Amino acid sequence: MPGSPFTSLRRRLALVGGRPASLAAEAAQGRRDQAGYRPSRLLEGTLAHHPLGEVVPWTEPVAFLDGTQHVELLGYVGTLPLVAAVVRAAVRQREARRMTLAVQSVRRVVIAHEAALAVFGAALDGHDVLVLDGDDAPHPIRDVERAHALVDRTRGALELAVAREYRLRHPDAWLLVDGTLTASPDWSRDPHMLGVVKSHAVLPFEGEALEQYLTLPYAHRTSLFQPGSRDVAPVYAWGLRLHPFAGQDLFHGLVRIEAAATEATVANVDRLSCHLLAERAPRSADPRADRLLYGIHDVERFLRAQGG
Amino acid sequence: MTILGRVVATELRPSTPHQFHFWTAAGAVLGIGAIVRVEGEGRVVFGVVTEGFAYADLPRPLDAVIGADGDPVQAGMEPTLRAEIRLWSAAVLRQLPEEPMQPVPFGAVTAASDADVLVALRMDAYVRPEGSTGIPVGVYTGGGLSAPVFLDADFLLGPEAAHLNITGVSGLATKTSAVSFLLTSLFETFPASKGSVAAICFNVKGPDLCFLDQAAPLGEADLALYRRLGVHATPFADVTVFAPYKADGVNLNTLRSNPAITDRVEPLVWGLREVLDYAEVLLNRDDVDAKAGAFIDFLAERVVGKRFEAGELRDEPFAVMTFADLDDFFRAIFDFLEVKSRGSEVWRTHHAATIRKVRNRLGNIATRSKGLVTDDGPANDLPWGAFRDRSVTVVDVAGVDPLAQDLVFARVISKLREHLERRDLGVDHVVVFVDELNKYAPLDGPETYVKKMLLDLSERGRYLGLVLFSAQQFRSQVLRRVTGNAGTTVYGRMDSDELALPGYATFSPAVKAKLAALPKGEVLVRHPHFTQPVFVRFPRPASLSGREGIERFPPAADLPFADAVVQRLKALDAGIAGDAVRAAIDGRPEHEVRRALGATTQRRPEDVLAFFRSCLRRSVVAEPVAPPRGVAPLARDDGDPFSPY
Repeated sequence: MPGSPFTSLRRRLALVGGRPASLAAEAAQGRRDQAGYRPSRLLEGTLAHHPLGEVVPWTEPVAFLDGTQHVELLGYVGTLPLVAAVVRAAVRQREARRMTLAVQSVRRVVIAHEAALAVFGAALDGHDVLVLDGDDAPHPIRDVERAHALVDRTRGALELAVAREYRLRHPDAWLLVDGTLTASPDWSRDPHMLGVVKSHAVLPFEGEALEQYLTLPYAHRTSLFQPGSRDVAPVYAWGLRLHPFAGQDLFHGLVRIEAAATEATVANVDRLSCHLLAERAPRSADPRADRLLYGIHDVERFLRAQGG
Repeated sequence: MTILGRVVATELRPSTPHQFHFWTAAGAVLGIGAIVRVEGEGRVVFGVVTEGFAYADLPRPLDAVIGADGDPVQAGMEPTLRAEIRLWSAAVLRQLPEEPMQPVPFGAVTAASDADVLVALRMDAYVRPEGSTGIPVGVYTGGGLSAPVFLDADFLLGPEAAHLNITGVSGLATKTSAVSFLLTSLFETFPASKGSVAAICFNVKGPDLCFLDQAAPLGEADLALYRRLGVHATPFADVTVFAPYKADGVNLNTLRSNPAITDRVEPLVWGLREVLDYAEVLLNRDDVDAKAGAFIDFLAERVVGKRFEAGELRDEPFAVMTFADLDDFFRAIFDFLEVKSRGSEVWRTHHAATIRKVRNRLGNIATRSKGLVTDDGPANDLPWGAFRDRSVTVVDVAGVDPLAQDLVFARVISKLREHLERRDLGVDHVVVFVDELNKYAPLDGPETYVKKMLLDLSERGRYLGLVLFSAQQFRSQVLRRVTGNAGTTVYGRMDSDELALPGYATFSPAVKAKLAALPKGEVLVRHPHFTQPVFVRFPRPASLSGREGIERFPPAADLPFADAVVQRLKALDAGIAGDAVRAAIDGRPEHEVRRALGATTQRRPEDVLAFFRSCLRRSVVAEPVAPPRGVAPLARDDGDPFSPY
């Protein structure tokens, strides 16, 4: 597999009698959500469109957090699959309009049943080992899916770790996360953290409210709401249209912003929305540019540039 | 050593043994022409930056418009600066070790140090504490550095390679300044073990090279450059300017005519003997057919400068030394043909028409080159056989007829060749500086004698120690064999139309852009030791430029005949009394005075005035004649109109 970071691992697998495989795992692209509804509680009366005022960029330092994962099926020992992954997370801080690295972390993991890992032995030096356990009988396809889930969790943990380290150094700086804040109570409580959710697989409303939500005009925000079933890490959220969607998809330019479930969020939702609206420029060099903030894009590209 | 950047290579832009690419931070102090060092995989590679690129992560220009809502003002206020790259291309100057030759490693890139520049340009082969042959040409100033750059004397004056050619637009004084500084540097640093060296500079326009012995005011920056290069900032100590006379035969045809500095100006005067050998220069093909050529050869071999007996013409032998003598000779032939041989048309197998034609053409030379060629006076020539080490001889032909210029070029270069072949010039090497090659050695146009001389000089001169420093505005319009034989090539500021021609295809667009806007005092140098050309900065010459010289020493107006004679003689002996000279020449024909002045200038006697007087023909004082005494007439007839009394 040209350019794979796991070429040497595959060689070692062949040496210990395994069968190297060369297919990219489906989950290499990253996490996926299942489509559905999760009804939310409105905090500002009815669901309405609120026009935003003048776009005001943040003048203070702002940091962006993102993570990446690269997953590959290494091969098999017998019929037991071995999955390898490189998981990275970083925080890059913007000061005087320039992005610089604040914190980064990387984990290289190999995931398999214990029996398969035993065959590898010392050849796995330099890689963390995650064991697929449980009572279910080994199944080549299901085991790979479970490995993917483990990689997702590893990435989540790594993102939490770099956020924690960043907070130790910069307790009051704004930190924008790619995705939801509900991954951790620490995040959801953080008054200077915002989650920017690009995915709309899980929608907060149904019916007429949903239509109202999805037809949010450009440079408007929705009324504040509290997503449902977020008891561990409750947050406040609102929809924000970053780019006009006329002639495009309903979701074009629409992001869901999450912030701490506090009165300060209620008081500052317009100001924060204006700041976030400023972040739509410069436009990211990415197919998801309508919803991907440039700062997040910068972190993601930085992580991908690190290679395997 | 601060790391400036890193080598990058992609499938589309790979590293090769001769080229590599690297990126730097946006604020890195680096530019086109900078020399960099790459270290990695056990090797060191030196390169010179030839191209620069900058781009951001913007996929399409339209994305910038969309991102800024179509407002360019907003684009400048985006909260995050786009990721951008400064990508540089560099041409490899040298790899260490040199073998095996491999693609440039993916190492760290640093700015070259002084020592690196020495190694990168392979100057370590000839700039050594013991027996250096390095001639400072300027300093390399890339990356905040100021490292001296040297040319190899063996490759500048021979025998390995030789000649230097410089190209640049007119009016910036870059060409003249560069050559002037390089001659200063050459005279000071040319190793004694390599012999002696002198320079002959043809001044072909204005006062360009007339003040090489006059000190120019230099600023601290220039003095610092001189110090860095180890060259003293002093004008040339031994300069002689040769210039023909004007048509009056006494005022010199040069802009260096201010009385304060005429002591180093010598007249350049040639007679028949000097000119006849170069008749081919002055007479075109239509003039000189086979018959005329044969007659000219006859004159040169048998008549001019010899005792020629022709009893049929006159009893006493001819001694044809001057144009005037030659004219007497021709007149004798025509008298013979018309009178004695009763209308015969042939004299000694030469037809009368051929003889008339040669007479007309040769006579025309003295007319068109009046001032350079004398009808009947003695010649005053360059000091053949007595050239001094580190001397500069300026031949000022700026004000003379193009035909006379051609004659001067041809004769001076031919004589240099002759003397260097015989090893009796007085010096071992001569640098000949010729500007305006576009005029004298054009790519197109007729085959002139001057063109042939320059070609011969550039192709064979180095074996003799005869070196051509040449300059022109448009290199593409100069005979390729002349420019191609120059081991060292210098480019000053160039015209962009000229740079667009295929001859400059080896330069990257960035190097061309830099050449098109090159500041005064900076040039691009190509030398056999340098794998790639390198930009250097050279100091202002320590001699006055032509324009400055004219301002400080305004040319004197042409003097009346008598005053000009006085001035010429005073140049030989400052103590001469003007009145004595005026008294000596009063009432004498000008041609006689000119001849006496020429003889005095040529001889340079101890007692100038006495010698000058002796050269004038003895004057016979008119005395009233008394009626002859004798026998008185027998009769006086007042009525006889024919009577003498």
